[in-house]
Amino acid sequence: MGLFVNEILFSNQVIVYLLSESILFALLLVAFFVSLKIVLKWDFESFSPAQFKLEQQAYLVTTIILFVFAIKFFLTLYFTFTIDVLSLLVPGAMCSAGVITANSYGSPLLVLKLLILFGLTLWLYVNFYDVRTKNYQWFKEKSFLFMGIFLLIVVELGLDFFYFSNIDTHLPVSCCSALFGQLEGANPLPFGLDIKMLLILFYLLFVMVILTLVSKQSVLYIVSNILFLYVAYFAVVYFFGTYIYELPTHKCPFCMLQKEYYYVGYLVWSSLLLGSYMGISSAITSLWLKKEFKSYKMVMGLLGFFVLICTGYVVVFYGGNGVFL
Amino acid sequence: MLNNAFFHFFTLQLFKERGKHIAVVLLSVVILFLLSSVLFLSSSIRHSLNQTLSVQPDFVVSKTLGGESTTTPLEWSDELVDIYGVSEVSPRVYGRYFAKSKEKFFLIVGVDFLEEQSHQELKKIMETTELKGFLNGDKMLVGEGVKNYLSQNFYEDDYNFLTPKGEFKKVAIFKTLSAKSNFIANDMMIMPIDLARTILGYGEEEVRDITFNVPNPDEWEMVADKVSALHFNLSVTSKKEVEKAYENLYNYKGGFFLILFLVLLTTFVLILYQRYSMVYSSERRNIGLLRALGWGINDVLKLKFLETISVLLISFVLGVVLAYVYVFVFDAPLLSSIFLGAENIERNLGFVPVVDFSVLSSIFLIYAVPFIASVLIPVWRVAVTDPKEAML
Amino acid sequence: MIVIENLYKKFGEVTILNNINLHIKQGETVILKGVSGSGKTTLLSIMAGLDKPSSGKILIDAEPISKLPDAFASKLRAKKIGMIFQHFNLFEHLSVEENVMIPLVPSGLKQNVIREKVKNALDLANISHKKSMLASRLSGGEKQRTAIARALVANPNIILCDEPTANLDKENSLMFIEILKELHGQGKTIVVATHDPLFEYLSFENKVIPMVDGAICE
Repeated sequence: MGLFVNEILFSNQVIVYLLSESILFALLLVAFFVSLKIVLKWDFESFSPAQFKLEQQAYLVTTIILFVFAIKFFLTLYFTFTIDVLSLLVPGAMCSAGVITANSYGSPLLVLKLLILFGLTLWLYVNFYDVRTKNYQWFKEKSFLFMGIFLLIVVELGLDFFYFSNIDTHLPVSCCSALFGQLEGANPLPFGLDIKMLLILFYLLFVMVILTLVSKQSVLYIVSNILFLYVAYFAVVYFFGTYIYELPTHKCPFCMLQKEYYYVGYLVWSSLLLGSYMGISSAITSLWLKKEFKSYKMVMGLLGFFVLICTGYVVVFYGGNGVFL
Repeated sequence: MLNNAFFHFFTLQLFKERGKHIAVVLLSVVILFLLSSVLFLSSSIRHSLNQTLSVQPDFVVSKTLGGESTTTPLEWSDELVDIYGVSEVSPRVYGRYFAKSKEKFFLIVGVDFLEEQSHQELKKIMETTELKGFLNGDKMLVGEGVKNYLSQNFYEDDYNFLTPKGEFKKVAIFKTLSAKSNFIANDMMIMPIDLARTILGYGEEEVRDITFNVPNPDEWEMVADKVSALHFNLSVTSKKEVEKAYENLYNYKGGFFLILFLVLLTTFVLILYQRYSMVYSSERRNIGLLRALGWGINDVLKLKFLETISVLLISFVLGVVLAYVYVFVFDAPLLSSIFLGAENIERNLGFVPVVDFSVLSSIFLIYAVPFIASVLIPVWRVAVTDPKEAML
Repeated sequence: MIVIENLYKKFGEVTILNNINLHIKQGETVILKGVSGSGKTTLLSIMAGLDKPSSGKILIDAEPISKLPDAFASKLRAKKIGMIFQHFNLFEHLSVEENVMIPLVPSGLKQNVIREKVKNALDLANISHKKSMLASRLSGGEKQRTAIARALVANPNIILCDEPTANLDKENSLMFIEILKELHGQGKTIVVATHDPLFEYLSFENKVIPMVDGAICE
């Protein structure tokens, strides 16, 4: 599929979104080439004016990355919001789920975005430690990490354009009930679990995450958080979400981002993702750079908040109706 | 490190360089004003349109001849009623009536008051109209635009229609419709279906089209197929398609504007870059001095970015507020005619203020991201000024 | 404590500093004597971390100031070094008090702590009576005293002065030397780069180091 000019590209939000992504990309391109030059010529012990200039340019790279990071987080929210708005134009779509699956670029794009945000969070942690050393100890590691993320961002930009220009507004898409609904016999849950076992696993993993956080067991923590993320996704879509929608058959990760559910989806997903990103990044840097595991309180708070919201919806429903769905 | 002392120093610096900053603020405000006005206007129109469309019936059926809609047989409504999932079948008689003297037209809408209405607004209107009085004699309900036009042409309480048969029909105005339904109802005259038939020239068993609702959205596609299958010359249009068409139209207009706007923005960005790059030697000395006195590159960067953000925020607030006043208080003269197109009857339009996250964040992104991106490199260049400059 | 070993500074083909070796103990007062072009200002800049050498070692309180990342170097400068420039280098549009405050602004200290330190520095430099006056309105001597207050506000233990009396009359020059004496009495390390003969006859202990053509003469 190539690039088509279609009505989607004329939508206000899409223009703003693509423009912002392009500008950020341009800045990152500059940062990339400067980074490359720095990595190739870096010699901290040298007194040459060239080396001092490189140190100055390192500030440019850091500033650009910090700016891009801040905007990218906001842009991801904006992207989600835009997709939701586009559901008006795509036949059959009642929420973002339909729009994302309107072509084959949508899901990879979303996953890539989440991956990039994680990479940038990791970079932030490495940078935090690096600038506190007296000899830019992890400068090369930091730079290679950035360059890796940059390559992902190149792919992301391409996917952005391909995705939006290939949304066919004449082809109907499946809505979330078709995408996430339980087909006869097929079990969408992982490891062949049923809902009850899934929930037990969900809470067990959460406890494990907290315990490994408090005891600063980095490797165990990373494993348990990743598992928790995976299980939590299914738990939210196939269980907690139904309590948000108050409909046992409504299974969708996107509908909860809409106005009628008070945009609670943003709270649910961002607390889960943010907490996990911060925690895993912190754990990785503590292992890799042999530093102490920081920000664990914040991670606990965020993940705890996530679990609280999810459980809260169930409790409130039960309290108000006396039964479970 | 963002303590009071820092802010204090920052305000002093800002004030000192106010000449440079005010120029940027002015330029930004103009740009933001244009941008915000367009976005406010288009989202307000879209909102009103959606509101109006949401009360429309789900489907419209008409007979086609040579690919165009033509008079539809009334008996088709019986066939529609039989289809499972279909409700509130309402045959419609409506059309344009030309007031020859001024070359303007009215939209005549005939309603069968004894039947269910599939149009929510009409339903509401029926419910709030004293039907007995209305149906007693030849009376009609008119939209505000119609009322104003008639008054201007000395028709205060009634109007004389010239029917296709060549006769005059006097119809009294029973009530004027609220401004809330102005978009659609503005040029409307609502009257009993038989009266409409007479004025427009429809036969007894003829209607313009037939509308119906399908309460269960999952059945829309299936019902649409079944209805299409009834007759080879039957066309069925769904509300969603209309919604989409309008959305695309306004997107197209808005998007087109935005793309033109981008050209303006590029110029703005270039100007900014140039302006911020023009670092006078005195500023270099000052920054060098700060560095010599123990300020790190990060501290200088923070100072400079705080300056930038202030300019940004001040311009943003000013530009958006001015645009708000322009669009929602003064009804956007000039700009609104571009968006609504040359109108049939002058509208007494108040744009509904629709200012939400989507609009504000769009404005913010399209302005702030290019702005900061263009000043980032010049600001960095200043921040890394050698402290040696202080010694010169 | 300032330790300089095998320090060179080249600018293209020109050698500005040639194999400087210097040890300055805490509390010492050192006068770098020489005509303009002898390299004393450059040496002072490097000591202050404002310039970087082409090769060699320089340690300020055991920290290699020229090889520190900017974040560390600037903190070191802010905390341990007070600089007094030849042309005073005040912000003309700010008041005396605001000028003196500047080194402390990025420190993250609370407003009232900063105010206290500023007050002490103004008192020490004998300029508190003019604290609200705009720097542009001050006389030469008053500007110098403001610069002194600014250099002292963070209570650094190293004071570096670059031709401090070049723009002062004799009376103010002598007043300046009195202040230096007091600072010496407080145990501060003082380095003055000057060719003012007044500094050859100081009433307190000091070491004069003559410089010619970028090298120290023994």
